Amino acid sequence: MSDAPLRTRGLGKRYGRVQALDDLSLDVEQGEVFGFLGPNGAGKTTTIRLLLGLIRPTAGEASVLGQPVSSPAVAWRAEVGFLPGDMTFWPRLSGLETLDFLAALAGRPPDGRAALLDRLALAATELARPVRTYSDGMKQKLGLVQALQCSPRLALLDEPTKGLDPLVQHGFYEIIADLKADGATVFLSSHVLSEVERVCDRVGMLRAGRLVSVGDVEALRRAERRRVRADFTADVDPTTLAHFGELVVGHPRRVELLVARAEIPALVARLGMLPLADLVVERPSLEVAFLEHYR
Amino acid sequence: MSVSVLFRHHVRLHRVPLVPLAAGLALFEWMMTFVARQPAVSSFLTAALRAAPPEFLSLMNQDLLTSVSAQGIIGVGYTHPFVLIMMAVWTARVPCAALAGEVGRGTMNLVAARPVTRAAQIAAALGAFLGGLGILAAAAWLGTLIGLLGRPLPGVTAWRYLPVAAALWLTFAAFGTVAILVSALNREAGTAIAWLSGLMAGSYVLDYAARVWPRIASLRPLSLFRYYEPQRVVRSGLAGCDLLVFAAVAAGALLIAFVWFARRDL
Repeated sequence: MSDAPLRTRGLGKRYGRVQALDDLSLDVEQGEVFGFLGPNGAGKTTTIRLLLGLIRPTAGEASVLGQPVSSPAVAWRAEVGFLPGDMTFWPRLSGLETLDFLAALAGRPPDGRAALLDRLALAATELARPVRTYSDGMKQKLGLVQALQCSPRLALLDEPTKGLDPLVQHGFYEIIADLKADGATVFLSSHVLSEVERVCDRVGMLRAGRLVSVGDVEALRRAERRRVRADFTADVDPTTLAHFGELVVGHPRRVELLVARAEIPALVARLGMLPLADLVVERPSLEVAFLEHYR
Repeated sequence: MSVSVLFRHHVRLHRVPLVPLAAGLALFEWMMTFVARQPAVSSFLTAALRAAPPEFLSLMNQDLLTSVSAQGIIGVGYTHPFVLIMMAVWTARVPCAALAGEVGRGTMNLVAARPVTRAAQIAAALGAFLGGLGILAAAAWLGTLIGLLGRPLPGVTAWRYLPVAAALWLTFAAFGTVAILVSALNREAGTAIAWLSGLMAGSYVLDYAARVWPRIASLRPLSLFRYYEPQRVVRSGLAGCDLLVFAAVAAGALLIAFVWFARRDL
């Protein structure tokens, strides 16, 4: 088996006529924060559930922390923290009872719990309440704490910031940074590009069950282009702007360009010399940005 | 380790409803000791049973001569629909919630993502179910014991009903293993409970129908209620062949449940 904490080869899952995941081959290295991007229904959750052995593959194989997922051994799961995409708990248990139960089930002390509660702003009084009284955001926070409280070597997080307010999201990013500093491996799924850019070392793009590409976040960030749309009060020659990027629309009164981020200041300065009526600078959609760089 | 943690978890989730169920059973069997000693009630029951058609007595699963005695009336208390329903509630609740219920609610993700084998999950659910069932059967017998200790009846001792309580436990323990199997096959507690209720009701109806309708009498051994006859247990104790049937059903159901649950998607 590979030393990589997470490894798949030709991994696939089919539900009847639906191919939920197809031929996924991937290595995530020790200490890496890997983002798994894709729209809803792309196969992100299926991948994570396959990696945990919650569902069985119809093709290929996977190993986690050096153990084949399909083997009967389960001890490796003690070192894995898991945040499900749809966070549900036992409604009558309190938050604290839930955390204690899940830590006991993992068989490891919850030595990271206090710091997590602090970072995610979950107070002791809130933990004493039954989970049925929690808001969605509080459930998500509790989900993060249960996943990471036993200081896992590998964290599998399915859309971890769903329902979190910006302040708590910031706390989550700090938690991921701490995990990385401690040498833990993080595999997180998301459909939020900014989030992945912020915390991940590498990203993989999944579309309709297939891994479209895997790449370096820093390279993606450097190359990401903006869509710039300029409307003019008088006719201009669009070709005079073409050298700033890729000309998408070139009418005398409207010009649309795909421009590298580094070129934006120069373009804006040039547009300021023209009879500008309106200017819109848009980030491209996640998929467009990703595919543009990695195809 | 994980089995004991999960066992305590199931106990915590189900201990509250266990209390009224146990109290209800104890109270009911305690009341039966009062009914058995009331001459007016006894004579009324005697008259009623003598007048009742054989089909009705078959439904009650009673032997007329033994039922009209004080000992028999207390025995009737162990086959009364109230008692059977109380036991059935627990039998459906715990196994169906422990597997299918956790899958349906989504909390199975949290449990199964930890170092817990599927076999451990079944074992913990089974343990919690059997333990609670034991408490219910014991509560029923305790009701008989307290009633008879408070006002003794000539020739009737509570100890004679201990094997009856054991037979009650064994019958529903066997149903409970079937419930574990049904739960292991399903993704929702509601669906599992519906299937199990159908099976238990079907088994009860089959036992009754086979007793009153000779043409299907040969099918009676297919019903688990065929092997639960309190009056016979009071007279002659637990029958070895009944125990064998319960054990065989339990072993078969659990084996299939283990194999299926270990291989299924959660």
